Amino acid sequence: MPILSLTTFLPLLGGILILFIPKERKDAIRWVGVGSTVAAFLASVYALTLFDPGLASPAPLTLQMVEKLSWIPSFGIHYFMGVDGLSLPIVLLTTLLSMAAAIYSMNIEERVKEYYFWFLLLEVGMTGVFCALDMFLFYVFWEITLVPMYFLIGIWGGPKKEYAAIKFFLFTLFGSVFMLLGMLALYFASNPHTFDMVELARSHAVFGREFQIIVFLAFYLGFAVKVPAFPFHTWLPLAHVEAPTGVSVLLAGVLLKMGVYGLLRVCYVILPAGFEWFLPFLVIIAFINIVYGALCAMAQTDMKKMVAYSSINHMGYALLGMAAISPTGFNGAAMQMITHGLITGALFILVGVIYDRAHTRDISAFGGLGAKVPVYAGIMSLTCFASLGLPGLAGFVSEFLCFLGAFPAWKLYTALSVSGILITAAFFLRMLQKVFMGPLNEKWAGLGDMNARELVSVLPLTVLTIFLGLWPRLILDIMNPTLTAMTKLFPSLFQSVR
Amino acid sequence: MIKHVHWIALLPLIASVVILLGSRDNTEKSRLPLLGVAVMGWCLLHSLLILAGVLSGRAEVPFYRTLPWFEFGGFEMTLGVLIDGTAAFMLVVVTLVSFLVQVYSLGYMHADPRFKRYFAYLSFFSASMLGLVISSNLMALFACWELVGVSSYLLIGFWFEGDAPAYAGKKAFITTKLGDLGFFVGLLLLFAYAQTFDLKMLPLHFQMGPGHMPAWVPTAVGVLLLCGAAGKSAQVPLFVWLPDAMEGPTPVSALIHAATMVAAGVYLVARTYFIYQAAPMALEAVAWVGLITAALAATMAVAAYDIKRVLAFSTVSQLGFMMLGLGVGGYTSGLFHLTTHGCFKALLFLCAGSVIHAVHTNDMRQMGGLSKKMPETFITMLIGAFAIAGFPFLSGWFSKEAILHDVYRFSPAMWCAALATAALTAFYMFRLVFLTFLGISRDHPRWEHAGESPPVMTVPLWILAALSIFAGLALEHNGIFAGAVCFGPAAAAEGAEAVAHAPNWLAWGAVGAFALGLAAAWRLYGTGDLSLASSLKRSLAGVFDILEDRYGFDRFFLALVRASDSLAAALYWFDSNIIDAIFVDGWALATRALAEVQRFFDDFFVDGAVDGVGALTRDGGLGLSRLMAGKVQEYLLFVALAVSLFATFIMTR
Repeated sequence: MPILSLTTFLPLLGGILILFIPKERKDAIRWVGVGSTVAAFLASVYALTLFDPGLASPAPLTLQMVEKLSWIPSFGIHYFMGVDGLSLPIVLLTTLLSMAAAIYSMNIEERVKEYYFWFLLLEVGMTGVFCALDMFLFYVFWEITLVPMYFLIGIWGGPKKEYAAIKFFLFTLFGSVFMLLGMLALYFASNPHTFDMVELARSHAVFGREFQIIVFLAFYLGFAVKVPAFPFHTWLPLAHVEAPTGVSVLLAGVLLKMGVYGLLRVCYVILPAGFEWFLPFLVIIAFINIVYGALCAMAQTDMKKMVAYSSINHMGYALLGMAAISPTGFNGAAMQMITHGLITGALFILVGVIYDRAHTRDISAFGGLGAKVPVYAGIMSLTCFASLGLPGLAGFVSEFLCFLGAFPAWKLYTALSVSGILITAAFFLRMLQKVFMGPLNEKWAGLGDMNARELVSVLPLTVLTIFLGLWPRLILDIMNPTLTAMTKLFPSLFQSVR
Repeated sequence: MIKHVHWIALLPLIASVVILLGSRDNTEKSRLPLLGVAVMGWCLLHSLLILAGVLSGRAEVPFYRTLPWFEFGGFEMTLGVLIDGTAAFMLVVVTLVSFLVQVYSLGYMHADPRFKRYFAYLSFFSASMLGLVISSNLMALFACWELVGVSSYLLIGFWFEGDAPAYAGKKAFITTKLGDLGFFVGLLLLFAYAQTFDLKMLPLHFQMGPGHMPAWVPTAVGVLLLCGAAGKSAQVPLFVWLPDAMEGPTPVSALIHAATMVAAGVYLVARTYFIYQAAPMALEAVAWVGLITAALAATMAVAAYDIKRVLAFSTVSQLGFMMLGLGVGGYTSGLFHLTTHGCFKALLFLCAGSVIHAVHTNDMRQMGGLSKKMPETFITMLIGAFAIAGFPFLSGWFSKEAILHDVYRFSPAMWCAALATAALTAFYMFRLVFLTFLGISRDHPRWEHAGESPPVMTVPLWILAALSIFAGLALEHNGIFAGAVCFGPAAAAEGAEAVAHAPNWLAWGAVGAFALGLAAAWRLYGTGDLSLASSLKRSLAGVFDILEDRYGFDRFFLALVRASDSLAAALYWFDSNIIDAIFVDGWALATRALAEVQRFFDDFFVDGAVDGVGALTRDGGLGLSRLMAGKVQEYLLFVALAVSLFATFIMTR
């Protein structure tokens, strides 16, 4: 059974089905939409049961559940799907977050049919990116995410939605144009010409150092915009603030991971010399992301913008772990992608919950809600603590591994980056204090606690956040063999950072 | 018995989850808190049995057992227990105070609308604290360390409807977190050279001598860990959070901010003593931090009027003594003081809680003459005061004596300073007792209303009072404590020898300090006539201002917070007005303008002249400008164009 294709395209099936439902039947559309995300999630869980983590080897890529069909033979383009310990967890994250966001989005009333159609198409693109192993296919999926996202922000977004949507679109397009150039360069430099990532990884030795550096930079532009790495991050706070809740969840939870994933999957494996050349810059960018992102978050009064800037900070940890080129750091970076997806996804849902009721996200507009909405306060506090890296919750392990891995290679920058932890704690606690503590702001005396739809969408994320914090091997056992094998690909690179 | 030691941490954790989620009724009517009390009672029994086993030699120590937690790269992180004499004593201190505080809280918190949740938090605290005590590796210890910080945050801010508790909780968390940054970097450094966090393996790396790791590493690790310890144990300059932490319910202050959590920093230094042994400079830093803290906090206690804040400063000061003890090489004496302090400081706090429960104020200026109204509280608190001030043969006397001995051995000058601090300790403690219980009542309605607390609160007081009297004697007898808690056999022998060599008159110094402090307190506050005290205060107004200002430490940290807020605001301005507005939007606008210029050029100069080329340029210009105007359809065209270019390229090759 082509399980990866099934995971990827089940939402498309749902999307097509939705096209045949009259637009007045909103509930039917919603349930078909949610049902397709559930089906995709179940398919990905089935893929997990088929996966054997131990199969990883130091060969460039050891892939499982491979599907390879000739697609455009004249250019050697294949429909080539497969997963390893790096991509499978992100596929699961994608389907899980899509499900949570689809459930949360059931409160959308405006143009429901189009919403769910674009939403499901977006899921197809996101899942595909992490499964695709042919550069061309990768690019197609990559670009598929762009158009639905443009419409989802531009139609269902906030007051400045058009500006936010076009900015997101152009920014990403700017990046992917360079990525396209990089792809073409790789294609023509390889002999025989190929888009096959595995083949390209095998033949990286024939690429000269200068060539690798230039092509690396082209890819880096594409990926850095997504991560987002300083200074290509300014689309993110805007897009997050304007996007509807469900879309913010996917934007932060999954789309940012496309950048980090791309750096590991494409840049590191295919262009090691370029990667090595860039490392000193990467670690500085990671440091800026961590400290600058955290400080910018501290300056926010809008909860959603604060969480958005905190994503820049958290992705900085992943970049730092990546810059370590050690099994510890790679594990940290890969796990950080998952934990950030879970935690920040939940945070965006929770910010949405209060915005739906109060129609404001201004931190100082509230006060004393703790006694009024205890369930919400409890889940929100827990998620904030997870985001600030409290031990026992998922974020701690991944951040700790990023730091632990990076420290031997980059002592100064890692030690300085640790201050990001303090700043993160400061702004999250300040928010908790202003929103939940102090005397009750009488304006919100009628505020209701979380309803079933909201709880169903957020609780899986909360439970996983706790579970991964207590038992990180649940995910590390899947990732560790692949990532350890990856660091063994280039022993010289591993040595050079020390 | 010792085989099941992990349950001491796990059961309270389970209890806290059950209490938190088990019932919707949050008030006193919920029976679930009794589960927490019962579990803690079991933990206390279990800890006592373990200690008995360790003391009698039936249980083999160190007891070490681990199970794999997770793997990364080639490393394995474990979860496990490591019980030695120190940990066994620490377990008893923590479970004992936890249990008594929980019982006491049944009375103290009885009318609270979030009664049940309070007990869930208490159990959660105990679980994390006990986990910290038994952890066999530093990463797990650090994890529990942070969880302890969270429970402290939750409990300080338990009455979060008030602004002060909410602020105090945040302040405590952030300030200790500042110290934890040092702890964190210390862990990273440690791992970079030792490749393990295991407390059983780590000592080997530090005993291998020079050449195994650069000489600066142990010192740096020691100092970095001290940062964490200084945050948690409220040492200078990070002590600022502890006085404010008194906003929490008083039993919480007794448990967390007096007897157990704040001792975690001291425990950390003791647990990683092998690092300090390899780094004499770091150890000396511990001693100096301890001494300065002890002295400064004692002076600040003299100027405070809030009964709980006096006790908070006293705690800071006593923690300084423990650090001082450890820092001068007195591993045993520092931990001995930790143990006895746990008893009498918990007692003092619970007594203060009993007083606050009766008069509904923390301000000693509104108390006075309460000894008649609440005799049991008075007597037990007096016992506590005698114990902490160092009255001969009470528990505090033994442990403080031991520290002073070790300090004298290290440096007579430091001994003088420590002795002066001991005199101040007696002074501020008796000032507190006299102002509260003796003399005339200064707020008659409150005095009228006051009454003795119920047995559920006074019985724990008597138990702790008994321990404050006898614990020192019992543990000193035959060197029980020193036998079980020592840092390796060599250190123990050395310590015994040194005590033997210390001059005999040394013991009189501490007794003299006690007498001096008591006499001064009696003269100023004991007789009911406070005129001398107030005239003294007037003539020393400048000094009092400094003391009430806490030597400006609070203002320093506030300035730090403001500075980081300004930095954050400045960076955000830079982000939105420079990077985003100029580089991103400006670039986009420039592109668009360029397209317009091109079109203008097209229309006026090229138009008609070179048809083919002109058309191409115009299309390009229009295409760009449309793209900037947000026509997504153009994008698809663009991709198609790219692909066709690519195809052309292929075919012409």
